[in-house]
Amino acid sequence: MARTATAPGAPKTLAGRAALEVDDRLIVAGPLRRTLNKVFPDHWSFLLGEIALYSFIILLLTGTYLTFFFQASMTEVVYDGSYAPLRGVEMSIAYASTLDISFDVRGGLLIRQIHHWAALLFMASIVCHMLRIFFTGAFRRPRETNWLIGVALLILGIFEGFAGYSMPDDLLSGTGLRIMSAIILSIPVIGTWAHWAVFGGDYVGDLIVGRLYIAHVLIIPAIILGLIAVHLLILVKQKHTQFPGPGRTEHNVVGNRLFPTFAGKATGLLLVVFGVCAGLGGLVQINPLWLWGPYNPAQVSSASQPDWYVMFLDGSTRLFPAWDIYLPGNYNIPALFWPTVVLPGIIFTLLLAYPMLERKLTGDTASHHLLQRPRDVPVRTSLGLMAITFYVVLLLSGANDVIADKFDISLNAMTWIGRIGLIILPPIAYVLTYRICLGLQQHDREVLEHGIETGVIRRLPHGEFIEVHQPLGPVDEHGHGQLAYGGAPVPKKMNQVGGARRAIRGFFSPIEEPRAVELEQRGEERGLAPADPHRELTSSGRPSEGGRPSEGGRPSEGGRPQEPRD
Amino acid sequence: MSTTNPQSETQADEVAPRSRWSRRRPAEGTPAAAARARRRSKQRRRLANVAGLMAALVLTGAVYSTLAPGAQAADEGSESSAEAAGRELYERSCISCHGENLEGVPNRGPSLIGVGEAAVYFQVHTGRMPLIRQEAQAPDKPAIFSDEEIDQLMAYVQANGGGPTLPSGDLRDGDLAAGGELFRLNCAQCHNFVGEGGALSSGKYAPSLEDANDLEIYTAMLSGPENMPVFGDNQLTPEEKRSIINYVQTITDMPDPGGAGIGRIGPVSEGLVIWVVGVAALLFGIFWMGSKA
Amino acid sequence: MTASNTRPGTTGGADVPGPLHGGPDDDYTPEQLAALPREELDRLGARYDGVEILHVEPGPEPGSALEKRAVRQVGTMFALAGLSAFAFVVVYAGAGWFLPNWEWQLGSSTWSVLYTPLLGLTMALAFTFFGVGLVLYTKKLLPHETAVQDKHDGSHFDRVTTGATLVGGLHNSGLKRRKLITRSLAFMGGGLGLMLLAPLGGLIKNPNRGNPLGTTSWAEGVRLVRDDGTPVRPGDQEPGSLETVFPAVPGGNRQTDAATMLIRLRPSQQADASFRAGQEDFGYGDYVAYSKICTHAGCPVSLYEQETSRILCPCHQSQFDVTQGAKPVFGPATRSLPQLPIAVDDEGFFVARSDYIEAVGPTYWNRERI
Repeated sequence: MARTATAPGAPKTLAGRAALEVDDRLIVAGPLRRTLNKVFPDHWSFLLGEIALYSFIILLLTGTYLTFFFQASMTEVVYDGSYAPLRGVEMSIAYASTLDISFDVRGGLLIRQIHHWAALLFMASIVCHMLRIFFTGAFRRPRETNWLIGVALLILGIFEGFAGYSMPDDLLSGTGLRIMSAIILSIPVIGTWAHWAVFGGDYVGDLIVGRLYIAHVLIIPAIILGLIAVHLLILVKQKHTQFPGPGRTEHNVVGNRLFPTFAGKATGLLLVVFGVCAGLGGLVQINPLWLWGPYNPAQVSSASQPDWYVMFLDGSTRLFPAWDIYLPGNYNIPALFWPTVVLPGIIFTLLLAYPMLERKLTGDTASHHLLQRPRDVPVRTSLGLMAITFYVVLLLSGANDVIADKFDISLNAMTWIGRIGLIILPPIAYVLTYRICLGLQQHDREVLEHGIETGVIRRLPHGEFIEVHQPLGPVDEHGHGQLAYGGAPVPKKMNQVGGARRAIRGFFSPIEEPRAVELEQRGEERGLAPADPHRELTSSGRPSEGGRPSEGGRPSEGGRPQEPRD
Repeated sequence: MSTTNPQSETQADEVAPRSRWSRRRPAEGTPAAAARARRRSKQRRRLANVAGLMAALVLTGAVYSTLAPGAQAADEGSESSAEAAGRELYERSCISCHGENLEGVPNRGPSLIGVGEAAVYFQVHTGRMPLIRQEAQAPDKPAIFSDEEIDQLMAYVQANGGGPTLPSGDLRDGDLAAGGELFRLNCAQCHNFVGEGGALSSGKYAPSLEDANDLEIYTAMLSGPENMPVFGDNQLTPEEKRSIINYVQTITDMPDPGGAGIGRIGPVSEGLVIWVVGVAALLFGIFWMGSKA
Repeated sequence: MTASNTRPGTTGGADVPGPLHGGPDDDYTPEQLAALPREELDRLGARYDGVEILHVEPGPEPGSALEKRAVRQVGTMFALAGLSAFAFVVVYAGAGWFLPNWEWQLGSSTWSVLYTPLLGLTMALAFTFFGVGLVLYTKKLLPHETAVQDKHDGSHFDRVTTGATLVGGLHNSGLKRRKLITRSLAFMGGGLGLMLLAPLGGLIKNPNRGNPLGTTSWAEGVRLVRDDGTPVRPGDQEPGSLETVFPAVPGGNRQTDAATMLIRLRPSQQADASFRAGQEDFGYGDYVAYSKICTHAGCPVSLYEQETSRILCPCHQSQFDVTQGAKPVFGPATRSLPQLPIAVDDEGFFVARSDYIEAVGPTYWNRERI
């Protein structure tokens, strides 16, 4: 602004003057300051979504490079490139140009492999991110919209990935495309019409690779990009959630400002994600489609699977029993329809609707910005584990022929293991998780009430042995702590409250002077205040010298009186 | 491998061609009858549990016969020394399942009449025969017999049963790309794109071709061991077989230009790597970033 | 910037805020701001953004051993990243120049096999060292501050005033009263929507015209030929064998639904064989021909186990028994593989006696009706 230019304190450096010029035109100082001052919570699990974002950036960069060479055409040519075992074989231009990227473009194979690995990582990190959001309750009001966008991104990612690996028209992806064609055909009433619309006629036609291509490089990425932008805008608008802790409330965010700490770490993570993808892309071969051969509808290979994020659908298809439904009028609903259209429909509908369902069922319509620890919401956590179990059984069933082959298990047995496991394992997972959550909850409460197990055994005058417990706060006349559980982790070990010396750092050999650490430790004086005469070590659940605690206080395992040995 | 045995080839010509197309494995009666028969013996019942559905392929082996070599006096007077040695080996290791005159033993082993030296070479050289125990499928293992002994066994079986003989010459003398097309059309459905092998129904499997030598692949196509279909010379010509062998051996020997091959089985191992290596490395990374200095 | 030009029409420049401007510029004069130290300015701005810096743990003492070590570590990381990046460039550009050729050939040098891994490794090291260096920098050399930012679900004031503006505008438009306009707008909206969607009609095609799903190129007298076009004689196959055959029409071996398995049964198989009703004579001697396209999801089946007579589909593990008319005996497939009626023509080659009598491949809604 003009006033600043003449005002005292006007910048004298070149950079400062340039910044002033820019701000004169764009008026960005205000928004920029707000952005730089945005506070990010400092917890590792908040970085999972960023991994997804950064792998998407890799996908955009490498994908653009690949479009320089890839030709989405199904015209048949005779291959005459560098890869001798296919020379003279008839194949589509799409496949031939992918071979050229792999063998005749300098560094092309590296970029292709980075692209594919980044795609796998993109999907994997979306799943990790989503699990974090789910188990900590970060999807609750007001963040339902972002949950919906997230699920939409997951679904779009699956379609994007499917289109991507189907484009090269190799024998593996062609088999997948054939199954996709059958899936579309299996839709009741409109199946054949939908198939003719998608493929431009009977399978396989000569249009589908071109259509997949435009979907893969333009339509779906544009939608994904738009949704990511909205996802991030909403995030910035709503600000981050955070785990409960000292000073953290529903109305603030505690952490680091974007600049410089968080920006440094985030850029570091971006580079590490790039590094991991580049490393995998160079060192681990992915989708070596020269080994698969060109697509031919009469050929197939054993162990034909889609990429891992579609594998659960392949698994469901393998497990589903042979149930065609015949309707009056000689119509029928193919068995294929249920595991490939209905099941994912149900899975993703439930996933999309979960925030609303939970709100309905719990009646909790309040806004939440503090996260929950999974143990504190046992029903949700158990439901989540149940869903994961269901998903993993499907995923493994998608690979059941490979598992059968590598571990010498009967293929038919694998199918039955999957069918039975799909039904009985999720409830078991639910019950187990529920018990574990309750157990963890109880232990938290117990530590708050009775204190941390110190491992110090004391013998009482009448010969009984007890374990000494360290209360976390002031105690009442029964020796019970009065701290309420606040949803934050409860210290369970003495050195978490400064009651023990911290470990000397160093991986192979100590890199610190033990005496220096001790001095530092003394200087800090955090946690325990031994000077306080009221806070003496008391035994758990043992009011002064008297009998057992009669009220609800559950004596901890360690504090339970033990029979004297002598 | 150049285990070709000119002696046995000449012998093969003398054998009446009647047995050439005769079935290799006898009908062992209904599976139910076979199962009943097996129930009689406790030891066999245990084996039957292992063998599962494979009633048709009940082969036992490695039973060292107590029969004296001279007990079965040879009727044929004109037996070459190789054949005689082969007979001795046969009577020591094979006779209990395949019978005195290669006719097979019901529920134990198939007839060897008409299988020819090709089948003998494949089964014995890959160590599948003699069988150690009955399973869904005979596994390959280090060959028990030496090359010379295998030659002798081949000579004996060829002389007495007849059947397809071993090929000669360069078994990789075929067009690479055409071999690839044939491999993908005829072989890849069981043995996988790159000959990694794969699962079949009920515990059976198509073995990996990685360690197979040229002659083993050739004789396997020719004889159709166990559940593998037979690819006779009128179906896949010798030239086509050589092309396939050329392709298989080229592909299995070929280094991977894109880094570690991770089993070359595609999405399953790739999915494993992205979770176990990629995601794990990044989780480690963000743990470290989130921790206080 | 102040403009020095004062000609008419170009008098702009001096930014004099109007009486409604408000904001922090009114609270703090440039002189006041100039008097504040940088840290104070930083905190002042942060406070305007609802951010309070609670606690700052300063970075290592300048010149201390701790700082020196951290600087050494970060510097090493950046240097290694640079080295790796240059190594990448050397490998990338040098191959085929002063290094061996990068192009991968069958049986070519180890170098060309190492080319992509080397590129990947150097690139990965460059990125990772850079990233690790940056994180080390922020962790070890930057001050650690704990900041807290205010968060609000929304402002009641904003809601009420925005609502008033919206409702006011809508009210002024009079759309509520002017029914003709709203109705014609709705009509137009419907029409425009349909018009924009209509071109997608180009995608719609009738799948039932000519029954493409129910028919293949097989027909009476069409020979069964191999992939290379050679016809098949009954003597060509051994018992217990399978051959993939195609109709002898141009492009027959690339058709998606025509691939057929010609199987010669072993005598024991033939003895047990039973076929679907009305299809007992579809085979020829010990030969039977089944569609290779799975009735479940359309993958080419053909993992033929000649001893158990099973055909396994590698995609979803449906198993078909060839001695029972290719009936599905395990897995998700529900229908038998269609059987092709075959015969031998005058010249002794296999021919089809007709097309498949049912649709091959996966089931669909009106399959039974065609």
